[in-house]
Amino acid sequence: MAVEVKEVNGEELDQLVTRGKVLVDFYSKTCGPCKMLGFVLKDVAKSVDGVKIVTVDFDTNKETVERYGVESYPTMIVFNDGQELTRVKGLQQKPKIIQMIS
Amino acid sequence: MNDAMLYDVAIIGSGPAGMTAAIYAARANLKVLLLDKLAPGGQIVNTFEIQNYTGMGTINGAELAIKMFEHTQELGVNFEYGTVTAIQSEESVKKIICEEGQIFEAKAVIIATGTIPRMLGVPGELNFAGSSISWCAICDGPHYRNKKVIVIGGGNSAVEEAIYLASLAEEVTVVTLLHLTADPLACDKLRALPNVRIYEYYDILEFLGTDKFVGLKAKSTKSSEEIIVNADGAFEYIGLKPTADAFKELGIVNDYGYIETDAFMATKVPGIYGAGDINSKHLRQIITACSDGAIAAQSVAKYIEKQNWEG
Repeated sequence: MAVEVKEVNGEELDQLVTRGKVLVDFYSKTCGPCKMLGFVLKDVAKSVDGVKIVTVDFDTNKETVERYGVESYPTMIVFNDGQELTRVKGLQQKPKIIQMIS
Repeated sequence: MNDAMLYDVAIIGSGPAGMTAAIYAARANLKVLLLDKLAPGGQIVNTFEIQNYTGMGTINGAELAIKMFEHTQELGVNFEYGTVTAIQSEESVKKIICEEGQIFEAKAVIIATGTIPRMLGVPGELNFAGSSISWCAICDGPHYRNKKVIVIGGGNSAVEEAIYLASLAEEVTVVTLLHLTADPLACDKLRALPNVRIYEYYDILEFLGTDKFVGLKAKSTKSSEEIIVNADGAFEYIGLKPTADAFKELGIVNDYGYIETDAFMATKVPGIYGAGDINSKHLRQIITACSDGAIAAQSVAKYIEKQNWEG
């Protein structure tokens, strides 16, 4: 039971979120809580299945960030077949993230 | 849920103090539980650059936290997520009760829960906390590109973050109860920025706005003049608050909310220790937190050895 955390750009994200369950982490390379969340997400990925976990760089995908209405980082959004299910801002603990995507 | 394992030591809080305590305790062959309600690192995760941790030169706070955490994992420390609400101190076993339902048991406990940013406690603050009022400029600053923001406070954090926000926002207004008390060079840099206004000796009365944040009202402590500062958001940097509420019933927390310990990091309750920023102390730095953690772990090792000897 494990998935991989993949970095995607805006175009790839648009295609990915249309099918299945997807957790998107909008992050910035300059943000400490984002770095720690990235570390936690790698740990989350080891204990989940049936979900895609992707990261989107806030600074190099500005048009996408605006289109998804993301105002700060880190922001996580869970989609299911293109529908937004949950959105949380800030660093979160591993069990809460697992709960979000289960 | 009751975790059946009896740990030698449960460490509550995984900031630099807690993680260092875990490393020293694991190296002393103790069975170690490291608990945190959020993630490893504590406050250092929010620090962009640390420049005074010996041997590291300049390092990002989150990167240092990850290195420390990986060090604990290499030594086999068990890390669990849990929000501790109480410790029940019995003769030889301490029960650590968590909000999530877990109950952990350990022979000794090190409390290293640190501090959290202090809030003003004025009307309107709770309506906008976490949305238009933030404590992390690096996280929420980009939302205010070409907008107006307020920075509250005059210490190092306030001044450094105001300088950062001035590079993004159209206008930054700094409002502080006293004068700017930060490092003089940083204060000079802030004062020289063309899009920064500074109101010194102003007491914040309330945040304004019903559905939408519109600014704040403040009153001069010198002239009693009241001002309204209009802005799209605010950042508060008015110091830190200890997080020891869960341990008050043990009688180890002083009137200011900090844990009282001796030079061995021992509280007056046998088997319960404090380490890091949560302790009543003079200097709160990463390096002093690590020092406390090391001392606390050594004290725990001696405490357990004595307990075992006495049977």
